[in-house]
Amino acid sequence: MREMAMFDVIVRGGTVVDGTGAPGFAGDVAVKDGRIAAVGQVSGEAKRVVDAQGRVVAPGFIDPHTHFDVQLLWDGAARPALEHGVTCVVPGNCSLSLAPLKASDRKAVVGMFQQIEEMPPEAFTTAFEWTWEDFAGYRSALEKGLSINVAPLVGHSVIRLWVMGPASQERAAFPDEIAAMQALLRECLEAGAVGLSTSFVDLDEHGRPVPSRYAQFEELDALCAVLGEFGRMLQVVPEFYATDITIARIDQLADLSIRHDIPTTFSPLFDTLAVPDNAERAIARVEEQFARGARVWPQMQTRPIDISFSLLRPSLFFARLPRWVRILRQPLEQRVAALNDPDTRAKMLADLGSDGGEAMFGRLVARGGDACPPEYVGKTLSEIAGLRGQPAGLALIELSLENGLDVAFLSAGQGHQSTDRIGPMLAHPLVHIGASDGGAHLASFSTYGDTGYLFSEFVRKAGAMSLEKAVAKITSETADIWGLKDRGRLATGQCADIVVFDPDAIARGDELPAFDMPGDGMRYVRAARGVDTVLVNGEVAYAAGAYTDSRSGVVCV
Amino acid sequence: MGEDALEEAVIVGADIVAGHDGTAELVVRLLHPDGSEHPVLLDEDTGLKLMEACGASGLEDLYGQSWRRILPQA
Ligand SMILES: [Zn+2]
Repeated sequence: MREMAMFDVIVRGGTVVDGTGAPGFAGDVAVKDGRIAAVGQVSGEAKRVVDAQGRVVAPGFIDPHTHFDVQLLWDGAARPALEHGVTCVVPGNCSLSLAPLKASDRKAVVGMFQQIEEMPPEAFTTAFEWTWEDFAGYRSALEKGLSINVAPLVGHSVIRLWVMGPASQERAAFPDEIAAMQALLRECLEAGAVGLSTSFVDLDEHGRPVPSRYAQFEELDALCAVLGEFGRMLQVVPEFYATDITIARIDQLADLSIRHDIPTTFSPLFDTLAVPDNAERAIARVEEQFARGARVWPQMQTRPIDISFSLLRPSLFFARLPRWVRILRQPLEQRVAALNDPDTRAKMLADLGSDGGEAMFGRLVARGGDACPPEYVGKTLSEIAGLRGQPAGLALIELSLENGLDVAFLSAGQGHQSTDRIGPMLAHPLVHIGASDGGAHLASFSTYGDTGYLFSEFVRKAGAMSLEKAVAKITSETADIWGLKDRGRLATGQCADIVVFDPDAIARGDELPAFDMPGDGMRYVRAARGVDTVLVNGEVAYAAGAYTDSRSGVVCV
Repeated sequence: MGEDALEEAVIVGADIVAGHDGTAELVVRLLHPDGSEHPVLLDEDTGLKLMEACGASGLEDLYGQSWRRILPQA
């Protein structure tokens, strides 16, 4: 008698969307020893059966632009990324990684990280132990507790800092220094770096350009030659200022891509109604460069951009209200006095029109995570005004004054917001869906749930692409662009990174403040909706709304 | 040329957009001496400083101002 096959896990009875873009089909997915052992009608038994009736079974999502470098050291799931179905993250973007880094340079790099991540200082002093200097050491520190997979980039700024010290933020490199950077990059790639990141825009906490911005082209070219030895990725943050500069960068990346036979990616590429042809022109240039044989992948995020502000600091949000601008740019003491002055206040309110500011401010949301009283958090100013029995403009001023001006408001969907325009761009075969910035800008906005938003907004609501296409965009296509072997598809022999989700419900939750950073630091998060189960390398890492204690994540390069 | 100043780019439009870091940013449209027009995106700090340098309380106050005002005042 034939023995029944025994698997570790069988995901049974779902619609298999295998990541290739092919139509979903009814079937099972069986897992053994961390790999997919069978796909289709699977007979046999398993130690664990995951019921996927009415659900989609897809490869785990891959997030190619994150800053989880620090968080991963104490939270190997990169929460809440994993619960959204993300099974692999790429940290080390924008020229910054935590290795290679000499002990004496830690302080400088922590400053740069805080600038983009907005993490409390405790995150760097109490939450983990610095045990490494080189990239291999960072990799081992990471691998102690991963439940998500990690494909880490190495940052150009830290490579430069290692070789040049303080001169890395002063001048171009000498030929011997460039040679030393090449050797160091080679060592990082051998130790598992998925590529190199560089930035043409970022600043450190003192407002100085980060080290990578002092590099001349010869230096970048020399580093790309090393990437070419491994066929690895160059990631770039381009100038956001003007389309013409973006196009010049695309051309430069294309030349590097062709000369060294490497993939390159730039992020972010935004759509903005203020410069309506920006993304369109950039994508047209990308098409031309691909036709030449270059690989230059623009990364575009799914989520719209919100503006947030409080009356603590001047904000351009009020730039259409001259009187408000004049009052809010005064020093704090005069500002508070003016806001308290009945005469000034009356004039400010008159500027808002006869509805008391309802049209202009009513849809603003009190974000929380600051001095805002809890009963108002998450409510619109219109609702708050109703509760307080006063017009919206007055509610904005008084609620701020009552709480030391430390009340942040959010104006949703102020950039990259047009689903009709962005849908076709996301569906474009040369546009790489990414640029979430996961783990960055913690105190400003949530960088989680962009994959849920892809399905809720662009698949279900707008029909900009099929569900199968959307899955392919964030699984097999990402794995292929980045050269991640055996990831991104549900096929026999592939690594068993799997997400089971409800196609009618998958979405991102509301943006809420959370106090789960070291030192009770605050960040904004979004919970997942519609995601049932997430497997990483064959082990259940998230199920029924809870994280398991699995530690099956690896550095997957 | 005598004492004539060189021609320079002038601001002919301004708008507020959402920056990638969640702040409000300023897009100004520049009219160059050769007649071409280009948008330039300024982060919130730079935008606020430009408004101050131009003595502007509103976006319209920026119109007609020299692009050179973007430079920090000595
Ligand atoms: Zn970034």
